[in-house]
Amino acid sequence: MTGVMLWGVGTSQYRLQPEKRVEELAWTAIAEAVADAGIQPWQIEAIVVGTVFGPPGVATRVQRGLGLPGVPMWTVENACASGTSAYHEAVEAVRRGRFGCVLVLGVDQMSTLFSGAIVPEATDPEGASSLPLPGLYALQAQRYMQEFGVTPEQLAAIAVKNKRNGLDNPRAQLRDKAPTIEEVLSSRMIAEPLTFLQCCPTTDGAGAVIVGRERNNPNDLRIEASAMVSGALWDHRSPDVWGYASVARAAEQAYEQAGRSPAEIDVLEVHDAFTIGEIITLEALGLAPRGKGAELAPSGHTARDGAQPVNPSGGLLSRGHPLGGTGTAQIAEIAWQLRGTAGARQVARHRVGLVETMGGGAAGMDGNACVVTILSVP
Amino acid sequence: MSELGVGRPTKRRPGAAVGGLPVADPRPVLDGAGADAAVVGLRCTQCRYPVPQRRIPWCPVCYGSVAEARFATTGIAWSSTVVQIAVGGRKPPFALAYLDLDDGPRVLVHLAEPAVVPIGTRLRITGTDDGDLVAEVAA
Repeated sequence: MTGVMLWGVGTSQYRLQPEKRVEELAWTAIAEAVADAGIQPWQIEAIVVGTVFGPPGVATRVQRGLGLPGVPMWTVENACASGTSAYHEAVEAVRRGRFGCVLVLGVDQMSTLFSGAIVPEATDPEGASSLPLPGLYALQAQRYMQEFGVTPEQLAAIAVKNKRNGLDNPRAQLRDKAPTIEEVLSSRMIAEPLTFLQCCPTTDGAGAVIVGRERNNPNDLRIEASAMVSGALWDHRSPDVWGYASVARAAEQAYEQAGRSPAEIDVLEVHDAFTIGEIITLEALGLAPRGKGAELAPSGHTARDGAQPVNPSGGLLSRGHPLGGTGTAQIAEIAWQLRGTAGARQVARHRVGLVETMGGGAAGMDGNACVVTILSVP
Repeated sequence: MSELGVGRPTKRRPGAAVGGLPVADPRPVLDGAGADAAVVGLRCTQCRYPVPQRRIPWCPVCYGSVAEARFATTGIAWSSTVVQIAVGGRKPPFALAYLDLDDGPRVLVHLAEPAVVPIGTRLRITGTDDGDLVAEVAA
């Protein structure tokens, strides 16, 4: 137990909005989170911002609109886990008594940088060799499929489930229709075996979370655990596919902090930037043994009305993925689910929720960072 | 309001493969040709851990000192894929594989033929293409 509470959440719309200033996305999310927490802006004692592409100085430009001069503020970057890394630092700061109320912001505006897939990082050994992120996940998928006999249809089932969930999320980018397995598999090939509909869309968005000390507010949620790990070597000695070990390390810490087992989790938001990601992640989180994670979506276990719904928001596959803006949106969805205010997306059992975000892309490491947090209704 | 991006600076970062400025090449290096060809990198003098890059300060496994090493150009495929989108200057389709070198580290290579190969396929690095390691199925 951390002794830290989640006070409020808010998000912008998640879609392509290059016409907006990046600060505007942030202010929309922050205003909603402040109102949701039932606080006045001046009660915020510190700000932690998670963003990958910034731009540099974005935190201060956001701060200028908030009227919080001089508060401690820092920006963290951990690839796709930047927003949840910022959240983790805020939780740690409150847990250790440094602050009583911290604003977390996750934000990125991708549409002004990339017209399609993220251009690989030229300073990275594999990025310089033109390995795109869908290519990295495709290498993971090829290995996993050959090792465990998983089928393309099982991969596609993740996209079908999440995009169907996303139809009921008014803030998700993709809401026009839910594809069938056949439509997922026959969409344009991006990197074999991952087709277009198995890749999350480029998106702009921001999410804000306010965490603080215990207070007597029935709207607050208990933060039972927050764990962050950075990457470890992933190389010729590694028994697992890329990414698995970093999620498993964070999950082990989080379950121990919360004193919970995977079976006790009612609802999850996990990093499904590509379909294979959800499968590997759920194995690393202990929802299925190794090689069996691909059965969770086809069996209905992770459906919205299943035993353990995963990505009821539609996930990254529907909401889109503004890197820094993803983790805080995942936390917002779990907060709405646990409070029972998720509307058409509401799951039946909602006492304990889990959020996982894994950021990666640096060659030879099993992730840049992974954050797992567990929240519950007090 | 002016049209987005027209006549104004954009946010694209220097260093990106498209539209950016040149950066120091971080890729593994192939040295020599034919029977003498080798991937050059570092190996720990204590635990023998191989690394496919240079100038790291110590062994990332045991903190021992590292020395220059030459690794075999042959090994087995850990996984492979065919990329069907343009990436930087690369036009689709192109195939990539993780190759576990026989006496060395795992490196990312381009495959000469744009096709997925089964896990464990013997591969040989035959050269480079614009600085990228290129491998083909070993006879």
